[in-house]
Amino acid sequence: MAKCFALMGWSLPVIESMQKLNKPYVVVSFPDFEGYAKENNIPFVSYQFNEWSDTSNSLDLFEKLKAYDVDVAVPLFEETVEWAGALNSIYRGDPRVLNRAFLFRNKAMMKRKALIGGLRVGLFEEVYNKEGVKNFMKRLNQANLQIEGEQDSWVHIKPFASAGTVGHRLLKSIQDIEDKCQESDFPCLAESHLPGTEFSCEAFIHGGKIRFLNITEYVKLGYSNFIPEGHHLHTKRDKIMKEMQKLVDLFGIEYGMIHPEWFLTENDELSFGEVACRIPGGHILELAGKAYDFDALGAFVLCHDPNLSEEELKEILPPLDARPKQFYGNVMIYPHKDVINKLEIPDELKEESYFLDHNLIPPYTNQKINSREGFGNHFGTVNFKGEDPDRMTELLLHYENVDFYQ
Amino acid sequence: MEGFIFTFYAHSEIYSFILKFCLFMHNQVLTDNTYQKFEEQFKEFSQATALTRPEKARKMMGQIDLLIDSTEGLKFIFQNITGLSKAGIFEGSPWADPSKLVASLVNGTLKSGHPNSTIEILSELRLLAIAKGKLEFKGTSPFDAENFIQEVIVANLEFVFNEPLEETRLVMSGHELKKVHTLFKFIAEKTELDNVKEKLVEELTLICEQRPVVTEKQRKIIALVKEKIELDPKNELDARLLRFQRCIYRPTINSANKDYQEYKKLLEDLSKDQLREESAEMSRAMLSFGLVSQYQSVLIIFLIQNGHKELIPLALGLSEAGTARWNEFREFISNLILKTIHPYNAQCIYGLAKMLESGIFSREAVRSGLANMLTIKVHPDVEARILKSTKTPHEKISALQYLMGALFRVLGQPLGVGQGNNPTCQSARGISMWSQHAPAKLIHLVQTAATYNDLTFRFEAQEIKSSEVGLGLVQNLDHNLDAVSVTLVPMLDKVYNEMMLRASGRGEDPHKWVNPALYGQWIQIGFASAYDYLSNAIVDFDGFISVFYAMCHPEYNGGYRLIYPNPVGIFITSAKGDMLGFHAVSLLRVDIDLKGIYRAYFLNPNNEGRQDWGQGIKPSVYGNGELYGESSLPLQEFAARIYAFHYNTLEAADKMNNVPDVEIQKIKKLAKESWGRSYTWLEIKKLW
Repeated sequence: MAKCFALMGWSLPVIESMQKLNKPYVVVSFPDFEGYAKENNIPFVSYQFNEWSDTSNSLDLFEKLKAYDVDVAVPLFEETVEWAGALNSIYRGDPRVLNRAFLFRNKAMMKRKALIGGLRVGLFEEVYNKEGVKNFMKRLNQANLQIEGEQDSWVHIKPFASAGTVGHRLLKSIQDIEDKCQESDFPCLAESHLPGTEFSCEAFIHGGKIRFLNITEYVKLGYSNFIPEGHHLHTKRDKIMKEMQKLVDLFGIEYGMIHPEWFLTENDELSFGEVACRIPGGHILELAGKAYDFDALGAFVLCHDPNLSEEELKEILPPLDARPKQFYGNVMIYPHKDVINKLEIPDELKEESYFLDHNLIPPYTNQKINSREGFGNHFGTVNFKGEDPDRMTELLLHYENVDFYQ
Repeated sequence: MEGFIFTFYAHSEIYSFILKFCLFMHNQVLTDNTYQKFEEQFKEFSQATALTRPEKARKMMGQIDLLIDSTEGLKFIFQNITGLSKAGIFEGSPWADPSKLVASLVNGTLKSGHPNSTIEILSELRLLAIAKGKLEFKGTSPFDAENFIQEVIVANLEFVFNEPLEETRLVMSGHELKKVHTLFKFIAEKTELDNVKEKLVEELTLICEQRPVVTEKQRKIIALVKEKIELDPKNELDARLLRFQRCIYRPTINSANKDYQEYKKLLEDLSKDQLREESAEMSRAMLSFGLVSQYQSVLIIFLIQNGHKELIPLALGLSEAGTARWNEFREFISNLILKTIHPYNAQCIYGLAKMLESGIFSREAVRSGLANMLTIKVHPDVEARILKSTKTPHEKISALQYLMGALFRVLGQPLGVGQGNNPTCQSARGISMWSQHAPAKLIHLVQTAATYNDLTFRFEAQEIKSSEVGLGLVQNLDHNLDAVSVTLVPMLDKVYNEMMLRASGRGEDPHKWVNPALYGQWIQIGFASAYDYLSNAIVDFDGFISVFYAMCHPEYNGGYRLIYPNPVGIFITSAKGDMLGFHAVSLLRVDIDLKGIYRAYFLNPNNEGRQDWGQGIKPSVYGNGELYGESSLPLQEFAARIYAFHYNTLEAADKMNNVPDVEIQKIKKLAKESWGRSYTWLEIKKLW
């Protein structure tokens, strides 16, 4: 049993879970949150995660956390992954824990590691400017035996160390590279487009073994997903489980949760996209918690504790073969217009029996929408619940195109 | 006996059948799992700790928002309101304590959209539950709750009758309108409308007793009552509502069941004596509430055009003095009437009558100004503002005609000038003061502003031109104003703001210099302020009050009366006495009222008749010796809310010692226990 968890990053739902589970914890985050923490009796250590210097580093933070008897660090956000890795390497006396954290933070390194281990990945390359991307696309075209007049091969570019879809661009032609790429995008990772259905896994790992595996079906990246996986994907569960364990072994993950993205082709081949080890976006753990009826955030934190007993594991995680009857899905809503005034919930949604709730925010008068960075800031989420995953898919696809903002 | 038992069972079976049927109906209207979803969310909400409660509450509100646009959904939420309230849905919000809610704010909140409108509706449902004894709430009795709901109904008649004002329609979505209308339908059914009738009479009286320049509000209420509530002349309350109605829709027996064109034909058949009677009856209707009907304009124009000018004083309800002035300037005023008055621009007749009474026609400058006004060409921007402020502009009436009409009203009813929903009390105060004491200056300002859409003022030997300075306090003018105000206020507001900028940073309240510069030489040069800029505190409040009483209290100022309005800065406090902000009023006079106490009579440009400043301080607008348009308070209570005023420095010095300390301490106690709690108080003495 951990003496104290250091929660790296500010998340009220996680803090609430820790309080409800009655587990010792301390929150490490930016000084901005200190006042709120004090008011609400939340143990708190303020730290400038974005500063790395003689006075702001993991050894210094380690000293500060001694007062709380911390022995496990839990990364909640992408930006705290190395910090947690550095602390855990001290707590576990294993310098490679930090190196693994770097693996999660550099998409090129991550892909190389996957490639070495025999996972299927696309073609990828580090690029430093527009020319680099163009050359990459040209080589890809060659490899794909492009004939004059045929479309260019699709290329994705992603920053090395950003969460989810932030900074992710899909480039469909040489012209696209010219139009969409910014100076500030570079250096970054360029990779070939992977065909197939995209999904993510949330694997809760303890002692190097997967103890619970959630599969999240992506209906449309950046917009919608649902849990558990639909019928077709479910038939591939064993195969997915095998590939997942391969990934865990290869990356040497012992404790915590990983959240990789995969592509399943029509020929039943799985390609590895990328992997993260913090709380996934898209409210995935919220949906998983509801679908499997467990405290997903609490489980996320506890799995990081090497001393967690088998009983405790059983208590906090659903059985490995659990299959919920109800599907929970959500779609993130973005305004379609540049200037919006009103939020209008369509009647068809109100009358939809799968509709659960929404947390859409009404705009202020003449609110202007900034150009979207990554997938931009969504204005809220609409949640659905129902028994038929195909109907769920239909609904999520439909509401992605409904304009809620006038 | 057996038979009796049989019927009893039969009834209860029918009853349970009806119950089942009702539930079945519920399920049809609301989707099958609505209840289950609500339960699920309610559980999540109640189990959340303080950390994630706001987020859970937001989701819950999102669902309630969707439910309450149907009567079924609203009923369902009403059935659950006790649970919601106890689970803390209102906690940490301005709606937490129902005893602190303000009925007059409900309308604005409902218009501001979800989530505010949703929680506001929940709040009304909670009050209804309290009123019906379904829910107990400390500090709010069923009686309080019932009263609050009635006040809300009266202030939201547009929603009760589902006839939203044009601006309401603009700001609210269809869904929001449905929500709010559903609410009012629901609470109106559950509230005794007879009691609302009484509030309607009270509301109409409060408005009309102030004789405001803008009469849209009372006309709207009267029209809605006419359309939607059956009135029985034998019922006393109904009869009082009918009196209001008749002023507009049937001012004389001859006008009954006729439109104004038919009425005009009828006039042609009347004898001189009958016309005389008609005129007297017509002016009585006007004078009772200051409301003018279309018929009166027809009558007045008819009398002038058909050689009955001698009946005009009767038709305007003039006194002997007023009649004498009519006789003196008969041709001039007849011309003004024919060029201005129209059945769709009739309200100005009341203002014209009051101008004749006050005698401002006797001033050559006023007559010249009005004659000039008739010849101007209105600037297109000003024209647009005027037409926007006129709810339903009539094609045959020009913007200039509306402007002239508004000028009659402002000049005839200086104390009826209001600021509408604008933070422009300063400008309204100025228009009112010029109208009383410098009418020709006002006319000239209007003439310049209307022609050039610009104004210039002098401030400390420099010129300020409104078109060349920065923004004023108001960026989106609320156009529920008279045409004179929409012409002047945007410019006055900018000029005022520029003066404030130029006078700031001097370590004293800029109003010391701005008031005399903006309003003119009627303002005393001396300026007393309770607040000290340098020490950021209330300094020598005793001295401040001594100067105030030495300035205006007849017992200490040598028995003098005030001559010109004194621009006074006051603290606005809530019904709990908490500091809310600052406001500008004009102190007009101090007099002994019918009960023998000294009262301050003042102009409050916000035209609000229903005010509660806490500590039992409630300004009244009638019944305590107020002239139309005046507000009043016992002088001591007024003094307990002021923070700045002007005075004559030469007079004050030797009179301020007359003021007994015991009087000062009474005021100081009221001040310290209300707005004073927001300030530091220093007792050092100042040289006044």
